[in-house]
Amino acid sequence: MTAPTDRDLIIRARRGATGGDAFGELVTRYQTGVFNVCYRMLHERGAAEDLAQETFMRAYDRLHTFDLEREFGPWIRRVAANLCLNHLEAQKATAPLDEERDADESQKPEKQVEVKERSAQVRNALASLPPQYRAVVELRHYQEMSYDEIAAELNIPLSDVKSHLFRARKILAEQLHASD
Amino acid sequence: MHLTDHVTDDQLNEYLDNESAERTQIESHLVICDGCAARLTALKTLFAEIESLPEIELTHNFAARFTPTPSLPPQLPRWLTLTATLQAALALVTVILAAPFIANLLPAIEIPSLTDIFLQMQSQWTAWLNALSTLRFDSWQAFQLPTLPQIPALEFSSLFIALTLAGVSMLWLVGNGLLLRNQMK
Repeated sequence: MTAPTDRDLIIRARRGATGGDAFGELVTRYQTGVFNVCYRMLHERGAAEDLAQETFMRAYDRLHTFDLEREFGPWIRRVAANLCLNHLEAQKATAPLDEERDADESQKPEKQVEVKERSAQVRNALASLPPQYRAVVELRHYQEMSYDEIAAELNIPLSDVKSHLFRARKILAEQLHASD
Repeated sequence: MHLTDHVTDDQLNEYLDNESAERTQIESHLVICDGCAARLTALKTLFAEIESLPEIELTHNFAARFTPTPSLPPQLPRWLTLTATLQAALALVTVILAAPFIANLLPAIEIPSLTDIFLQMQSQWTAWLNALSTLRFDSWQAFQLPTLPQIPALEFSSLFIALTLAGVSMLWLVGNGLLLRNQMK
Protein backbone atom coordinates (compact mmCIF):
# COMPACT_ATOMS: atom_id res chain seq x y z
CA MET A 1 0.00 0.00 0.00
CA THR A 2 1.47 3.35 -1.03
CA ALA A 3 1.73 6.20 1.43
CA PRO A 4 -0.80 9.00 0.93
CA THR A 5 0.46 12.08 -0.87
CA ASP A 6 0.64 15.46 0.84
CA ARG A 7 -2.38 16.49 -1.21
CA ASP A 8 -4.40 13.51 0.09
CA LEU A 9 -3.43 14.33 3.65
CA ILE A 10 -4.40 17.98 3.27
CA ILE A 11 -7.79 17.03 1.87
CA ARG A 12 -8.33 14.61 4.76
CA ALA A 13 -7.11 17.17 7.29
CA ARG A 14 -9.64 19.68 5.99
CA ARG A 15 -12.49 17.30 6.73
CA GLY A 16 -12.18 18.09 10.40
CA ALA A 17 -13.25 15.23 12.64
CA THR A 18 -10.62 12.76 11.43
CA GLY A 19 -8.33 15.46 10.10
CA GLY A 20 -6.01 15.52 13.08
CA ASP A 21 -4.38 12.24 12.14
CA ALA A 22 -3.77 13.40 8.58
CA PHE A 23 -2.30 16.70 9.71
CA GLY A 24 -0.20 14.85 12.27
CA GLU A 25 1.28 12.84 9.41
CA LEU A 26 2.09 16.06 7.54
CA VAL A 27 3.77 17.41 10.67
CA THR A 28 5.81 14.23 10.99
CA ARG A 29 6.97 14.58 7.39
CA TYR A 30 8.03 18.21 7.59
CA GLN A 31 8.82 18.94 11.22
CA THR A 32 12.58 18.44 10.91
CA GLY A 33 12.80 20.68 7.85
CA VAL A 34 10.66 23.37 9.44
CA PHE A 35 12.59 23.18 12.70
CA ASN A 36 15.87 23.60 10.82
CA VAL A 37 14.57 26.66 9.00
CA CYS A 38 13.74 28.13 12.40
CA TYR A 39 17.04 27.05 13.89
CA ARG A 40 19.06 28.58 11.06
CA MET A 41 17.13 31.81 11.43
CA LEU A 42 17.01 32.00 15.23
CA HIS A 43 20.07 30.02 16.37
CA GLU A 44 18.39 29.02 19.60
CA ARG A 45 16.82 25.62 20.04
CA GLY A 46 13.99 26.58 22.41
CA ALA A 47 12.86 29.50 20.28
CA ALA A 48 13.25 27.44 17.11
CA GLU A 49 11.01 24.71 18.53
CA ASP A 50 8.42 27.25 19.61
CA LEU A 51 8.38 28.90 16.21
CA ALA A 52 8.29 25.55 14.40
CA GLN A 53 5.25 24.59 16.41
CA GLU A 54 3.69 27.98 15.78
CA THR A 55 4.31 27.43 12.07
CA PHE A 56 2.31 24.21 12.08
CA MET A 57 -0.46 25.80 14.10
CA ARG A 58 -0.71 28.64 11.58
CA ALA A 59 -0.65 26.15 8.75
CA TYR A 60 -3.45 24.15 10.36
CA ASP A 61 -5.56 27.28 10.76
CA ARG A 62 -5.00 28.27 7.13
CA LEU A 63 -5.29 24.83 5.65
CA HIS A 64 -8.68 25.53 4.11
CA THR A 65 -7.14 28.37 2.06
CA PHE A 66 -4.11 26.35 0.93
CA ASP A 67 -3.87 25.99 -2.86
CA LEU A 68 -3.74 22.26 -3.53
CA GLU A 69 -1.78 22.86 -6.72
CA ARG A 70 1.17 24.10 -4.67
CA GLU A 71 3.65 21.92 -2.85
CA PHE A 72 3.14 21.75 0.89
CA GLY A 73 6.82 21.38 1.87
CA PRO A 74 8.16 24.57 0.30
CA TRP A 75 5.06 26.45 1.44
CA ILE A 76 5.37 25.47 5.10
CA ARG A 77 9.09 26.28 5.09
CA ARG A 78 8.35 29.72 3.69
CA VAL A 79 5.73 30.25 6.41
CA ALA A 80 8.37 29.28 8.96
CA ALA A 81 10.95 31.69 7.49
CA ASN A 82 8.46 34.53 7.55
CA LEU A 83 7.42 33.79 11.12
CA CYS A 84 11.06 33.75 12.20
CA LEU A 85 11.77 37.02 10.41
CA ASN A 86 8.82 38.65 12.18
CA HIS A 87 10.03 37.21 15.46
CA LEU A 88 13.56 38.53 14.92
CA GLU A 89 12.39 41.97 13.91
CA ALA A 90 10.15 42.09 16.97
CA GLN A 91 13.01 41.07 19.23
CA LYS A 92 15.85 43.02 17.64
CA ALA A 93 18.25 41.00 19.69
CA THR A 94 20.42 38.02 18.96
CA ALA A 95 20.13 35.09 21.30
CA PRO A 96 23.31 33.20 22.16
CA LEU A 97 24.10 30.38 19.81
CA ASP A 98 23.23 26.93 21.02
CA GLU A 99 25.82 24.22 21.15
CA GLU A 100 24.50 21.56 18.84
CA ARG A 101 25.87 18.36 17.43
CA ASP A 102 26.34 19.08 13.77
CA ALA A 103 28.79 16.30 13.08
CA ASP A 104 27.69 13.14 11.33
CA GLU A 105 28.06 10.30 13.84
CA SER A 106 29.15 7.89 11.11
CA GLN A 107 32.30 9.92 10.43
CA LYS A 108 35.66 9.47 12.11
CA PRO A 109 36.08 11.40 15.39
CA GLU A 110 38.61 13.88 13.92
CA LYS A 111 36.34 14.52 10.95
CA GLN A 112 33.33 14.90 13.25
CA VAL A 113 35.13 17.56 15.26
CA GLU A 114 36.18 19.36 12.08
CA VAL A 115 32.64 19.34 10.66
CA LYS A 116 31.20 20.41 13.98
CA GLU A 117 33.61 23.32 14.26
CA ARG A 118 33.00 24.49 10.70
CA SER A 119 29.23 24.18 11.14
CA ALA A 120 29.44 26.24 14.31
CA GLN A 121 31.40 28.90 12.42
CA VAL A 122 28.82 29.01 9.64
CA ARG A 123 25.98 29.19 12.17
CA ASN A 124 27.76 31.94 14.09
CA ALA A 125 28.29 33.87 10.88
CA LEU A 126 24.61 33.45 9.95
CA ALA A 127 23.60 34.55 13.43
CA SER A 128 25.57 37.76 13.03
CA LEU A 129 23.51 38.82 9.99
CA PRO A 130 20.66 41.32 10.28
CA PRO A 131 17.25 39.61 10.25
CA GLN A 132 16.37 40.65 6.68
CA TYR A 133 19.69 39.31 5.39
CA ARG A 134 19.16 36.03 7.24
CA ALA A 135 15.73 35.66 5.71
CA VAL A 136 17.02 36.23 2.19
CA VAL A 137 19.89 33.77 2.68
CA GLU A 138 17.46 31.21 4.09
CA LEU A 139 15.05 31.53 1.18
CA ARG A 140 17.76 31.55 -1.48
CA HIS A 141 20.21 28.95 -0.21
CA TYR A 142 18.01 26.57 1.75
CA GLN A 143 14.69 26.95 0.03
CA GLU A 144 16.08 27.60 -3.44
CA MET A 145 13.72 30.40 -4.27
CA SER A 146 14.33 32.80 -7.13
CA TYR A 147 14.88 36.52 -6.60
CA ASP A 148 11.34 37.26 -7.74
CA GLU A 149 9.87 34.66 -5.42
CA ILE A 150 11.84 36.04 -2.47
CA ALA A 151 10.72 39.56 -3.26
CA ALA A 152 7.09 38.41 -3.34
CA GLU A 153 7.45 36.34 -0.19
CA LEU A 154 9.08 39.07 1.87
CA ASN A 155 7.14 41.84 0.18
CA ILE A 156 10.27 43.82 -0.66
CA PRO A 157 11.60 45.22 -3.99
CA LEU A 158 13.73 42.99 -6.19
CA SER A 159 16.64 45.42 -5.78
CA ASP A 160 16.48 44.90 -2.00
CA VAL A 161 16.58 41.15 -2.45
CA LYS A 162 19.77 41.42 -4.45
CA SER A 163 21.46 43.92 -2.18
CA HIS A 164 20.52 41.99 0.99
CA LEU A 165 21.73 38.73 -0.50
CA PHE A 166 25.00 40.03 -1.90
CA ARG A 167 25.85 41.95 1.27
CA ALA A 168 24.97 38.95 3.40
CA ARG A 169 27.32 36.78 1.37
CA LYS A 170 30.06 39.33 1.68
CA ILE A 171 29.68 39.41 5.47
CA LEU A 172 29.60 35.62 5.62
CA ALA A 173 32.72 35.33 3.48
CA GLU A 174 34.59 37.84 5.63
CA GLN A 175 33.60 36.12 8.86
CA LEU A 176 34.38 32.63 7.64
CA HIS A 177 37.73 33.60 6.14
CA ALA A 178 38.63 35.55 9.24
CA SER A 179 38.09 32.42 11.30
CA ASP A 180 40.30 30.28 9.01
CA MET B 1 29.33 43.68 -21.41
CA HIS B 2 32.53 43.38 -23.42
CA LEU B 3 34.75 40.33 -23.37
CA THR B 4 37.55 42.23 -21.62
CA ASP B 5 35.34 43.78 -18.94
CA HIS B 6 35.86 42.22 -15.54
CA VAL B 7 32.84 40.64 -13.92
CA THR B 8 31.50 42.56 -10.92
CA ASP B 9 30.60 40.89 -7.61
CA ASP B 10 26.93 41.46 -8.29
CA GLN B 11 27.25 39.85 -11.73
CA LEU B 12 29.04 36.85 -10.22
CA ASN B 13 26.33 36.46 -7.60
CA GLU B 14 23.59 36.62 -10.19
CA TYR B 15 25.49 34.20 -12.41
CA LEU B 16 25.78 31.60 -9.66
CA ASP B 17 22.15 32.15 -8.68
CA ASN B 18 21.08 31.46 -12.28
CA GLU B 19 19.53 34.89 -12.40
CA SER B 20 21.90 36.52 -14.89
CA ALA B 21 20.84 37.62 -18.37
CA GLU B 22 24.54 37.78 -19.41
CA ARG B 23 25.58 34.21 -18.86
CA THR B 24 27.26 33.74 -22.20
CA GLN B 25 29.33 36.93 -21.93
CA ILE B 26 30.32 36.14 -18.34
CA GLU B 27 31.42 32.61 -19.23
CA SER B 28 33.44 33.91 -22.16
CA HIS B 29 35.23 36.35 -19.89
CA LEU B 30 35.89 33.75 -17.18
CA VAL B 31 37.76 31.62 -19.71
CA ILE B 32 40.30 34.36 -20.34
CA CYS B 33 40.47 35.99 -16.86
CA ASP B 34 42.09 34.06 -14.01
CA GLY B 35 41.25 36.76 -11.47
CA CYS B 36 37.49 36.65 -12.12
CA ALA B 37 37.62 32.84 -12.30
CA ALA B 38 39.28 32.75 -8.87
CA ARG B 39 36.60 35.05 -7.44
CA LEU B 40 33.95 32.77 -8.89
CA THR B 41 35.59 29.74 -7.27
CA ALA B 42 35.71 31.51 -3.91
CA LEU B 43 32.03 32.38 -4.17
CA LYS B 44 31.19 28.79 -5.12
CA THR B 45 33.07 27.60 -2.04
CA LEU B 46 31.06 29.98 0.13
CA PHE B 47 27.82 28.69 -1.39
CA ALA B 48 28.90 25.13 -0.66
CA GLU B 49 29.76 25.99 2.94
CA ILE B 50 26.43 27.67 3.54
CA GLU B 51 24.45 24.89 1.92
CA SER B 52 26.34 22.03 3.54
CA LEU B 53 25.16 23.02 6.99
CA PRO B 54 23.85 19.78 8.46
CA GLU B 55 20.31 19.50 9.75
CA ILE B 56 19.75 19.40 13.48
CA GLU B 57 17.63 16.54 14.78
CA LEU B 58 14.49 17.27 16.71
CA THR B 59 14.39 16.04 20.27
CA HIS B 60 10.64 15.57 20.34
CA ASN B 61 7.77 15.01 17.98
CA PHE B 62 5.49 17.94 17.20
CA ALA B 63 3.01 15.66 15.50
CA ALA B 64 1.71 14.40 18.84
CA ARG B 65 0.30 17.85 19.54
CA PHE B 66 -1.74 17.75 16.38
CA THR B 67 -2.86 14.14 16.54
CA PRO B 68 -6.19 13.89 18.35
CA THR B 69 -6.70 11.38 21.13
CA PRO B 70 -8.09 8.09 19.84
CA SER B 71 -11.68 8.49 18.81
CA LEU B 72 -14.35 7.29 21.19
CA PRO B 73 -15.31 3.64 20.83
CA PRO B 74 -18.59 2.99 19.06
CA GLN B 75 -21.74 3.37 21.10
CA LEU B 76 -22.94 0.38 23.08
CA PRO B 77 -25.46 -1.86 21.34
CA ARG B 78 -29.04 -0.73 21.81
CA TRP B 79 -30.01 -3.92 23.64
CA LEU B 80 -27.27 -3.37 26.18
CA THR B 81 -28.27 0.22 26.77
CA LEU B 82 -31.91 -0.81 27.24
CA THR B 83 -30.89 -3.61 29.58
CA ALA B 84 -28.81 -1.26 31.68
CA THR B 85 -31.65 1.26 31.83
CA LEU B 86 -34.13 -1.46 32.74
CA GLN B 87 -31.91 -2.83 35.49
CA ALA B 88 -31.50 0.66 36.88
CA ALA B 89 -35.30 1.07 36.95
CA LEU B 90 -35.71 -2.35 38.56
CA ALA B 91 -33.10 -1.48 41.14
CA LEU B 92 -34.98 1.70 41.98
CA VAL B 93 -38.29 -0.19 42.36
CA THR B 94 -36.55 -2.79 44.49
CA VAL B 95 -35.13 -0.17 46.80
CA ILE B 96 -38.59 1.43 47.19
CA LEU B 97 -40.20 -1.92 47.94
CA ALA B 98 -37.44 -2.75 50.35
CA ALA B 99 -37.90 0.49 52.26
CA PRO B 100 -40.41 -0.92 54.84
CA PHE B 101 -38.13 -3.84 55.52
CA ILE B 102 -35.21 -1.50 55.85
CA ALA B 103 -37.28 0.54 58.30
CA ASN B 104 -37.77 -2.59 60.39
CA LEU B 105 -34.09 -3.41 60.20
CA LEU B 106 -32.85 0.03 60.99
CA PRO B 107 -33.65 -0.09 64.73
CA ALA B 108 -31.76 -3.33 64.92
CA ILE B 109 -28.68 -1.62 63.58
CA GLU B 110 -29.27 1.31 65.89
CA ILE B 111 -30.04 4.20 63.61
CA PRO B 112 -33.17 5.40 65.42
CA SER B 113 -33.09 8.90 64.08
CA LEU B 114 -33.56 7.77 60.48
CA THR B 115 -36.37 5.44 61.49
CA ASP B 116 -38.05 8.21 63.39
CA ILE B 117 -37.90 10.45 60.37
CA PHE B 118 -39.38 7.74 58.18
CA LEU B 119 -42.16 7.00 60.66
CA GLN B 120 -42.94 10.66 61.07
CA MET B 121 -43.21 11.06 57.34
CA GLN B 122 -45.44 8.02 57.19
CA SER B 123 -47.74 9.29 59.92
CA GLN B 124 -47.80 12.75 58.37
CA TRP B 125 -48.80 11.25 55.05
CA THR B 126 -51.57 9.27 56.76
CA ALA B 127 -52.78 12.42 58.47
CA TRP B 128 -52.95 14.23 55.13
CA LEU B 129 -54.88 11.38 53.60
CA ASN B 130 -57.35 11.42 56.50
CA ALA B 131 -57.78 15.15 56.19
CA LEU B 132 -58.45 14.88 52.49
CA SER B 133 -60.95 12.08 52.96
CA THR B 134 -63.07 14.30 55.23
CA LEU B 135 -63.41 17.09 52.67
CA ARG B 136 -66.95 17.57 51.42
CA PHE B 137 -68.37 19.72 48.65
CA ASP B 138 -71.93 20.88 48.32
CA SER B 139 -72.64 19.46 44.91
CA TRP B 140 -70.30 16.52 45.18
CA GLN B 141 -70.38 13.42 47.19
CA ALA B 142 -67.73 12.67 49.72
CA PHE B 143 -64.35 12.45 48.09
CA GLN B 144 -62.92 8.98 48.45
CA LEU B 145 -59.27 8.44 48.06
CA PRO B 146 -58.24 5.11 46.64
CA THR B 147 -56.75 2.92 49.26
CA LEU B 148 -53.30 1.48 48.84
CA PRO B 149 -53.23 -2.25 48.18
CA GLN B 150 -52.27 -4.36 51.11
CA ILE B 151 -48.78 -5.74 50.89
CA PRO B 152 -48.87 -9.47 51.53
CA ALA B 153 -47.07 -10.45 54.67
CA LEU B 154 -44.00 -12.02 53.22
CA GLU B 155 -41.23 -13.15 55.46
CA PHE B 156 -37.73 -12.27 54.41
CA SER B 157 -34.68 -12.91 56.44
CA SER B 158 -32.25 -10.07 57.04
CA LEU B 159 -29.58 -11.98 55.14
CA PHE B 160 -31.86 -12.35 52.12
CA ILE B 161 -32.64 -8.63 52.09
CA ALA B 162 -29.01 -7.69 52.54
CA LEU B 163 -27.94 -9.96 49.70
CA THR B 164 -30.72 -8.63 47.48
CA LEU B 165 -29.70 -5.05 48.13
CA ALA B 166 -26.05 -5.88 47.54
CA GLY B 167 -26.92 -7.63 44.27
CA VAL B 168 -29.08 -4.75 43.08
CA SER B 169 -26.34 -2.28 43.98
CA MET B 170 -23.81 -4.30 42.01
CA LEU B 171 -26.14 -4.41 39.01
CA TRP B 172 -26.62 -0.68 39.30
CA LEU B 173 -22.91 0.00 39.40
CA VAL B 174 -22.08 -2.37 36.55
CA GLY B 175 -24.92 -1.05 34.40
CA ASN B 176 -23.95 2.56 34.90
CA GLY B 177 -20.31 1.70 34.43
CA LEU B 178 -21.14 0.27 31.01
CA LEU B 179 -23.20 3.29 30.09
CA LEU B 180 -20.54 5.74 31.21
CA ARG B 181 -17.62 3.86 29.67
CA ASN B 182 -17.59 6.05 26.56
CA GLN B 183 -17.50 9.27 28.53
CA MET B 184 -14.73 8.06 30.84
CA LYS B 185 -12.23 7.51 28.00
